[in-house]
Amino acid sequence: MDKLLRNKKAIVIFMAPAFILFTLVLFVPICQSVYYSFCEYKGITAPKFIGLANYKALLTDKTLGFAIKNSIFFLVFSCVSQLIMGLFLAALLTNIKKGRNLFKNIIYLPCVLSSAALGLLWMFIFSPKLGINQLLEKMGVEGPLWLMDTKGFIILPMWVIAFVSLWQYVGQSMMLYMAQISGISKSLFEASYIDGCTKPQTFWHITLPLIRPMVATAMSLNAIGSLKFFDLIFNMTEGGPNHRTEVLATHLYQQGFKYFKYGYASAIGVLLLIMCLLVTLFINKVVKTEQYEM
Amino acid sequence: MDAAVKTENEAKKLLTADDIADKKEKLTLPKVIIYIFLVLTAIVYIAPLLWVFNVSFKTNREIFSAPFALPQDITFDNYTFAWTAGKLGIATLNSFIVCVITLALSMIIGSMAAFGIGRLRWKGSKLAMTYFLTGMMIPVHCVLIPLFTRFAKLGLSNNLLGLILPYLTFALPITIFIMTGFFESMPNELIECACMEGANLFQIFFEICLPLGKTGLFVTGLMTFIGNWNELLLAMVFISDDAKKTLPVSLSKFVGPYNTNYSQMFAAIIIAIIPTIIVYCAFSNQIVDGLTAGAVKG
Amino acid sequence: MKRKILATILSAATIATTFAGCGGSSSPATPAPAASPAGDSGSSSGEVQEITWMFWDDLDATEDLISLGYKQNIERFNKDYEGKYHVTPITTNLEEYYNKLNALVAAGETPDVFIVSPGPQLTDYVEPGVAAPLDDYLGKDGWKDSFTSDAVFSQQTYDGKIYAVPLNTAAACCFYNTEMFEKAGAKVPTNWDEMIAACDALQSAGYTPVTISAGTAWCLSMVAGYLCEAEGVELPKLADGSASWEDGKLENACNKLLQLSQYFQKTAAGDTNDVATANFYNEEAAILIQGSWAIGQINGANPDFEAKCGVFQFPGVERVIAKSDSLAMSSTSKYPEAAAALMKYFTDDTAQKYTAEVGGKIPVTKVQYDADKAPKQLAYVMDVFGGAKGTFGFYNESMPTTETGAHFDDTMVSVFLGDMTPADAAKDMEQYYKDNCRK
Repeated sequence: MDKLLRNKKAIVIFMAPAFILFTLVLFVPICQSVYYSFCEYKGITAPKFIGLANYKALLTDKTLGFAIKNSIFFLVFSCVSQLIMGLFLAALLTNIKKGRNLFKNIIYLPCVLSSAALGLLWMFIFSPKLGINQLLEKMGVEGPLWLMDTKGFIILPMWVIAFVSLWQYVGQSMMLYMAQISGISKSLFEASYIDGCTKPQTFWHITLPLIRPMVATAMSLNAIGSLKFFDLIFNMTEGGPNHRTEVLATHLYQQGFKYFKYGYASAIGVLLLIMCLLVTLFINKVVKTEQYEM
Repeated sequence: MDAAVKTENEAKKLLTADDIADKKEKLTLPKVIIYIFLVLTAIVYIAPLLWVFNVSFKTNREIFSAPFALPQDITFDNYTFAWTAGKLGIATLNSFIVCVITLALSMIIGSMAAFGIGRLRWKGSKLAMTYFLTGMMIPVHCVLIPLFTRFAKLGLSNNLLGLILPYLTFALPITIFIMTGFFESMPNELIECACMEGANLFQIFFEICLPLGKTGLFVTGLMTFIGNWNELLLAMVFISDDAKKTLPVSLSKFVGPYNTNYSQMFAAIIIAIIPTIIVYCAFSNQIVDGLTAGAVKG
Repeated sequence: MKRKILATILSAATIATTFAGCGGSSSPATPAPAASPAGDSGSSSGEVQEITWMFWDDLDATEDLISLGYKQNIERFNKDYEGKYHVTPITTNLEEYYNKLNALVAAGETPDVFIVSPGPQLTDYVEPGVAAPLDDYLGKDGWKDSFTSDAVFSQQTYDGKIYAVPLNTAAACCFYNTEMFEKAGAKVPTNWDEMIAACDALQSAGYTPVTISAGTAWCLSMVAGYLCEAEGVELPKLADGSASWEDGKLENACNKLLQLSQYFQKTAAGDTNDVATANFYNEEAAILIQGSWAIGQINGANPDFEAKCGVFQFPGVERVIAKSDSLAMSSTSKYPEAAAALMKYFTDDTAQKYTAEVGGKIPVTKVQYDADKAPKQLAYVMDVFGGAKGTFGFYNESMPTTETGAHFDDTMVSVFLGDMTPADAAKDMEQYYKDNCRK
């Protein structure tokens, strides 16, 4: 049997399709992207090596400043809000029996829907002439310009988009936590009740520490997801007003496919890649600690 | 001693109380609050979808004059228009073709590689795994430009194959990761038995390992399908021909150069999400659990 | 050992493809061996000559009257030339149009005929030789003489050669609700002070004087363009560095914009172009500053409104902002004769009549159209157009690059939103020009 499993030919046959695809469609383009980031490349004409000029330009790009700020805001917001809301909803749902499935499925629903469609939907809901502001007007309140306001450090549209993304994706965090909580053995809870713990105490002292590895998983999912964030912003504001809601992904798209600055857009792509790698490393180092036996 | 017994008795009481709450679901005040909160949450989730459903039956003028009123008369004009002239019908078909082909290929290619890594014995298998796993951290944006220029030259832009290739590639890491776990956990004896009976590797793979890894295939397949069904960026960049657009891209078609077709846009939104909602309603538990399982492992 | 060899081969292959990827992409669409001169195109073989035409609106889903007119042109062409020529339209939405067009150019599949905006966008295709000069075709059969004047080609001419054919002209004007003006006792303004006075009168009568969109940045920027023109801003001088944005003209223009913005509808900052136009035809605001392409949309959505809709020229300026859709031909087209024949179908009498009578845009040829059939507003726009001392392009389409134009739009929105003072805006534009536009 060992001989069978060490058959070189078989190994090549099994590995080759995935390996070739992966190399040609992912690895080679990544290298090319890094090369382009050192080039002036406008699409119709050939790439011309210009050294670090694109990276220097990154430093003075005002829109990139917004994009980085917004991307970091998203990152922090989605990690924190998904953690809190996800855990909260998971805690509530594990405490009820009737309707648990129904509520769970309703909250999870947007996760499987097209965020392009949902982005358009929310764009209309927050537009001045339709949706929420019309409702507020009926109550005699003048609604703000949800997607156009530019006051403050983190502008209102960013908050709106952040909450919409929380709305859309919190179901996933919730489910991850629920799965982990239901994996904790009953006897542990029983023991804690025997020790006279109340439910909140049990949650704080037993549940939370035990789901810590899951927190790391959920957080890195959220973090990577929020750095890649594109669809909702693209369909809700397209980065407007005045690039104030631009994130790295939308800025890259704009520079690359609206102004055809392929070289410069590649530099943004490299920056995005580095951020993704750093964030993943950071979360795995800091949050992921030893697993408890359950 | 006395005190100890007392606490133990109390604990027993607590335990039984909890049991009862679990079994008969007594409506205590905290429970009522929980339910009220959950119902409100559910409204936040359902109301926007109902609103867009309502608006999708109205005319452009109606939408602006009374966005919340029920439509004056229910016609399906917006839908037929979006479906035919808006080419959402073709777009749905395209999405379906792309997703099904990607799904099938990613399952086969992915689990073959997973089998190679998890079961076959060679030195580089760990390294290969790391290589594939780095793919999970790479955002698609980073390869967008090189892929786009390359595919344009190869005639793959504006071609469904040009979508299938990257979709497939980006589905591979998670498929390989999850399936490797499944194959590694299979008992050695099974394969030994098959070996004794003279089965070759491909028989072992297709007839023993794959059927046993059904759960894994279901989970990865689900993730792949849903991810690709909703994918916007690649599809937007790669496809320009109306007849080849996928659903998420087709939605923006209703924004014309100087004016937008609101009513049809709303109908289009509904068309885009309705199939997913129907499938979801039918299999919600399996889908939610499957996706969660996938995410946990990822 | 074998494995090592395999690994070496694989990595070598990887590197090779990487370099191929970098170096190999150096050939831009190579111009085809000189487009075959007129006459000997391959129709003799009896094969149908297949060409493509690229356009920025979906011909089936659109409600835009001009787009529908183009659709008819295509259908007429395919019917009349059946068996000889055949054209297939490639359509995208406006947002991603140039992106897709460039992809096709890069792939060496430039559409035979494509629509393009005059200005930096057309330059993008003329300079690398993607668009072909059209003088030979225009010179034949009196095609060029059918146009109203040679001036219609001014924006399409590079080094004395014409690279694109204009299809129609739209002028940016002020549309107004005559009924509201009457009730408020407002007069049609001819200069800036009268404009403010009219807005005041409208406002005190309880109307929203002006509806505009800052959500769609070019709409606001169009007004800013008019105000700059009134102040005497000269874009070519700014581009070559012989004038400065900080000479006070832009600042004055911005201050006027802010003055006018007091009369905008409350939601101007968030409203899109469509919403702003809807405000006007739903009679919620008295003045709409828009291109004449909006006529079709206005009359289509609210037919009763046509009688109440007047037009006046933006006060205080002598020239009008004009924009024309133009068609360019690929220099690599296999069938330039077919492509030229197709282009003619867009400027023949049927098409141009439609442009005026149904589309509500200004025709580019000397065609006689039935003024009674045309929307009433077109006559007013024609009056404005005829009375003007010339035309100028959209500001964002008259700057050195598309991105510069977008930057101007954004800066104007910033001023409107109060994120930037007019002085800052001038400083910002000057800095941007220094960094990006002047060599």
